[in-house]
Amino acid sequence: MKIKQSGSTIVFKVIIYILLTFMAAVCVFPFIIIISGSFTDNYTIITEGYGLLPKNFTISAYKTIFKAPQDILQAYKMNFYYTIVGTGIGLFIITMTAYVISRPEFKYRNNISFIIYFTSIFGGGMIPWYLMYASVLGLKGSTFAIWFPALMSPFLVILMRTFIKESVPDAIAESAKIDGAGHVTIFLKIVMPVLGPGLATIGLFLAIGYWNDWYRSSMFSTSSKTWELQFYLYDLLNATQALRQMAQNTSVSTADLPTESIKLAMAVVATGPVLLFYPFVQKYFVSGITVGAVKG
Amino acid sequence: MKKIKKLFSLLLIASLVISLAACGKKDNTSGNKNENTPTPTKTAETTDTPAEATPDISKKVDLVFYVMGDAPKDEQVVEDALNKLLLEKANATVDFQFSTWTDWTQKYNLELTSGAADLIYTANWINYATLANSGAFAELDDLIAKDAPNIAKSMDTSLLDQCKVGGKLYAIPNTWPEYTVSGVSYREDLRAKYDLPVPNSVENLEAYLLGIKKNDPKQGLLSVTTGESSGLQVAFDAANILNYKYPWVTPNGLPYGLAANYDTPSTVYDYWNSDDFVNDMKLMKKFADEGLWSRSALSDTNDADAYKNGTCAAVVAGQNPNKDIAAITEYEKNHPDWKSAYIAYGETTGVIFPAHATQNATSILASSKNQDRALMVLDLLLYDKEVNDLVEYGILGTHYEVDANGNYKNLSEDYKYENMNTWDLRNGDFKLPQESDAILNQMFTKYGELAAKTKFPNVNIFGGFAEDYTAYEVERSAVSDVMRQYLAPLQAGLVADVDKAVAEFRNKVKDAGIETCQEQFKTQWAAYCDEHGYK
Repeated sequence: MKIKQSGSTIVFKVIIYILLTFMAAVCVFPFIIIISGSFTDNYTIITEGYGLLPKNFTISAYKTIFKAPQDILQAYKMNFYYTIVGTGIGLFIITMTAYVISRPEFKYRNNISFIIYFTSIFGGGMIPWYLMYASVLGLKGSTFAIWFPALMSPFLVILMRTFIKESVPDAIAESAKIDGAGHVTIFLKIVMPVLGPGLATIGLFLAIGYWNDWYRSSMFSTSSKTWELQFYLYDLLNATQALRQMAQNTSVSTADLPTESIKLAMAVVATGPVLLFYPFVQKYFVSGITVGAVKG
Repeated sequence: MKKIKKLFSLLLIASLVISLAACGKKDNTSGNKNENTPTPTKTAETTDTPAEATPDISKKVDLVFYVMGDAPKDEQVVEDALNKLLLEKANATVDFQFSTWTDWTQKYNLELTSGAADLIYTANWINYATLANSGAFAELDDLIAKDAPNIAKSMDTSLLDQCKVGGKLYAIPNTWPEYTVSGVSYREDLRAKYDLPVPNSVENLEAYLLGIKKNDPKQGLLSVTTGESSGLQVAFDAANILNYKYPWVTPNGLPYGLAANYDTPSTVYDYWNSDDFVNDMKLMKKFADEGLWSRSALSDTNDADAYKNGTCAAVVAGQNPNKDIAAITEYEKNHPDWKSAYIAYGETTGVIFPAHATQNATSILASSKNQDRALMVLDLLLYDKEVNDLVEYGILGTHYEVDANGNYKNLSEDYKYENMNTWDLRNGDFKLPQESDAILNQMFTKYGELAAKTKFPNVNIFGGFAEDYTAYEVERSAVSDVMRQYLAPLQAGLVADVDKAVAEFRNKVKDAGIETCQEQFKTQWAAYCDEHGYK
């Protein structure tokens, strides 16, 4: 038997559907334009502008990008390396920190939480940050300098602490302790197994952060071999722009610089993997954020 | 709660102490640097005098040379070859480090702060004078005689003089005179096809554009926006056309609506409050009404490729000979029947000067521990033909060869012409011409002849001036806002009544504090002209 819907509910639903369809379209259209633009002939883009369907279909932009595939493959390889290493180690350290400061028997947990929190409000600033890594630690040019600085963030630690407090009641840890479990056992056997959604959320935050980062390459890389993918792409664009302005300083040939369609194709190449990856972990993402938002 | 309060206050105190210590330390070091830099060189000189100025090179030194842009593929190959030579000649190696074009301003300043480099590319467009004033670069006056025999012997002293800031030398310029004169790129093929005048004056440019419009209404004329006009001189690109009329010391006049003629640089007058300005704005309105540019020009985005793609018939702003050459090359490749030609504004006004010596120069960091050796290496990089060729063109036979006409010919994509971006190491005597340089060299010869006839032959007066606007930054940005809001529509000819709009602009810009800016600028400018003898 069908439940009859009242008139107001139907009106409400219609409005909601129209609104959501509109919002979805607003989100999707730019992306469709990017994809179609990347398959459009460059001259057509300049003379006729962008369209939803590619006019004068061509894959020459992708051909140009993959003409020297070793560069972009190297950047992809490094990006995977940074993302995997950074996310793995970061997740481990964040979870351990969060576990420690969530334990009631740890006397200075509030003080330490405060110090962690404090750094999220008062930072040292960019120049001390740079000098620390480049001059004091001497990490300029190493791959370490690219994944190390982003291992932990106060926001993620606090999010994880809240998550642990929510999902692991003190009583469980205490009973494990009575049964003779040490902290390592409690952490690995009791806490970790129930942290699935939390780990997925934090992991996704970290992974997306690493995947989309270009700034640390910009600051610390001395060779294009250690570049992150986003920096590789970003620098291509910047180099184009700079060389146009700089044509006064040097007789560079500006003929083979990236064109409109190549820029769009690069955007597709860079966002592709994230798009594929995102739907699978999205449900954790949403639940994880709400945990942080309500109780954090 | 009490504990947290205590902890918090402790932390605050700690951070305060640290920041104080940091500031204090910085002051100390920079203060020390300024005083100390000359001292060690003096002591070094005294100890060296008996040995008759042959610097000690017994210890091997590894130097870092910070340059702009992206690294070439074969950076390492060329560096290895270069270091073999340098080890022999100065017992030193050089590692080139590249800024990339992403955030380069910030990274350049960080490089100066962290002091990791020894040699560094510098230029007026990187604020050379300001940086030199703040003590970032080492003073070179005393070092040159001892460490850089070739520079001391062969470099034109007027070039070195142009690099001086406050009477002291902080950079070594390149020695290839370059003319980056602004002007108009136009379509020679269209001009010839419709038998139109060469656009070498305001009137002829108008006739050229209107002629094209009459014969081919679909052809775009000018793609002018506010894009190339972000400074404090003009607010709309098309106003560059007025450069045909005025023999000013620098294109578009001085900032803040001031102007001075090249022949009398120290005599500054107020252009915005002159009758010329009103007449010029009426002229711009006439052009706009004739449809030389789009009615929506003010909100259009700047399309750098418009000329290359043929959507406009002339470019009047932000042009220089090299950009015209780029257009010519592009046309040859994609539109063989199109032709581009170039008219410099200075050809009409008679005011032509080369790029300032600080356009491409090299400095040594004040924090470098090996300033002597760095200068020795720089001397070799600039004046030793073998070393210079290697760094500019790569390895002979692998990366390039010299063809029968003495032109540079590239052999490898992995190392192109000046691929280390060392424009600061160009040596006029060694520089190999490229095939595409033929037209450029013709232009430069023509400009060279014109420049020799000016009152200050071959001197870019304005190029060496560094304005210090810290005292009137607020007024300055207010003026800039007013320019964008009121001057741009005026210069774009998009106002109904020019006289009224001019009056309104003058009022608004006065309210914004133009008088403060003008006064301060005039004082600084007069001091600069006085220092360098530009009367």
